[in-house]
Amino acid sequence: MLVEIRNVSKTYETDGTRIPVLENINFTVEDNDFICIVGPSGCGKSTLLRIIIGLEKPASGEVLFKGKVIAPDNPKVAMVFQNFALFPWLTVRENIELVLESKVLHEKEREGMACKYIKAVGLDGFERVYPRELSGGMKQRVGFARALAVEPVLLCMDEPFSSLDALTAQNLKDELLMLWADKNMPPDAVIMVTHNVEEAVYMANRIIVLSPRPGKIVADLRVELERPRNRKDPEFYRWVDKVYSLIV
Amino acid sequence: MIFPKTTISEIIGLLEAINDAGGVEDAARLAADFDLELDEILPSIEGAELLGFVITTDGNIELTEDARKLLNASIQERKKIIRNKVAGVEIIKELRNELMQSDEHRMSKEDALKFIQRRIPSSDTESYFRIIINWTRHAGLIGYSSDSEEICLMSKR
Repeated sequence: MLVEIRNVSKTYETDGTRIPVLENINFTVEDNDFICIVGPSGCGKSTLLRIIIGLEKPASGEVLFKGKVIAPDNPKVAMVFQNFALFPWLTVRENIELVLESKVLHEKEREGMACKYIKAVGLDGFERVYPRELSGGMKQRVGFARALAVEPVLLCMDEPFSSLDALTAQNLKDELLMLWADKNMPPDAVIMVTHNVEEAVYMANRIIVLSPRPGKIVADLRVELERPRNRKDPEFYRWVDKVYSLIV
Repeated sequence: MIFPKTTISEIIGLLEAINDAGGVEDAARLAADFDLELDEILPSIEGAELLGFVITTDGNIELTEDARKLLNASIQERKKIIRNKVAGVEIIKELRNELMQSDEHRMSKEDALKFIQRRIPSSDTESYFRIIINWTRHAGLIGYSSDSEEICLMSKR
């Protein structure tokens, strides 16, 4: 068992009113899980992800990573953000090397690792380019390379495709699945938050559906569709319908 | 000459969608699938056609053999296929020739803009510059440094 989410609840307080956001969330993450968390907007999907990676504390319950309470600086967990979160004053390579600074002491080794993952996502040739010169798709490729460069066991992604135009998003989803299929590449498991049901059915081998706020798990489904998946396949549509029916 | 305002990522995304539809799809239906207007998806169709990845007849867009090869290839193999295709685009061929004859295979952005303006007359040369550099960088052919404001030939890998 890689990660265990145990009885996690979260409440926010505004103007003296307590708003429950997540209620009694329980599930485990195993090796080879590609989990998509879906649910209506405001159901606490992103909050749950932030709790899983240790960036936020739950009001009650706990998250265990390989049996130990998760720490926010866990080097085996990496995150990909919706808005890319790149440093504009650093080049592509420098953005990636920065996350390796605390992990890899030797500059040459850092360079080598950065180059390996730049190449893996097809960004070779862009090493010395600044984020402002990149298209959205290329920026998110930097996001992927930066997350993979720390060779994480668990990769978390918060709506990684929703800032991209539809065609670019399609291309990046396929490339990410190519990397996921490569057993020589990190990570061992993925948790991705998305509001897009079709995207979840396309990417995941397991879908966790949350209820409207406060988010509770209403379903935890194994997606039994062969890869590569085809969005035009009637069986694919049946899965999309099934997940939708659980949300609305 | 026209140059489609689209990126290589968008073109590959389009090819993947046509592939899902069985290798041939109607342009209007493709646009609808992506919640796009027809004129929003047209540049990507034109881009795919310019690179020889699709053939369009009567609104139907069909994948070529090269497109199938691309879709079945790894990320690095895709880069090689894209490199060969982009190298064959007329304006990019001419720009590379110009760079080969120039000092240290470099050219100022200002000269590159003039070069593009002569071939694609428009009031929007800057955005054509960005698009062409997106293609040539993706292909590993021509890079651009915003520090020195110069474009240069990229070394073959």
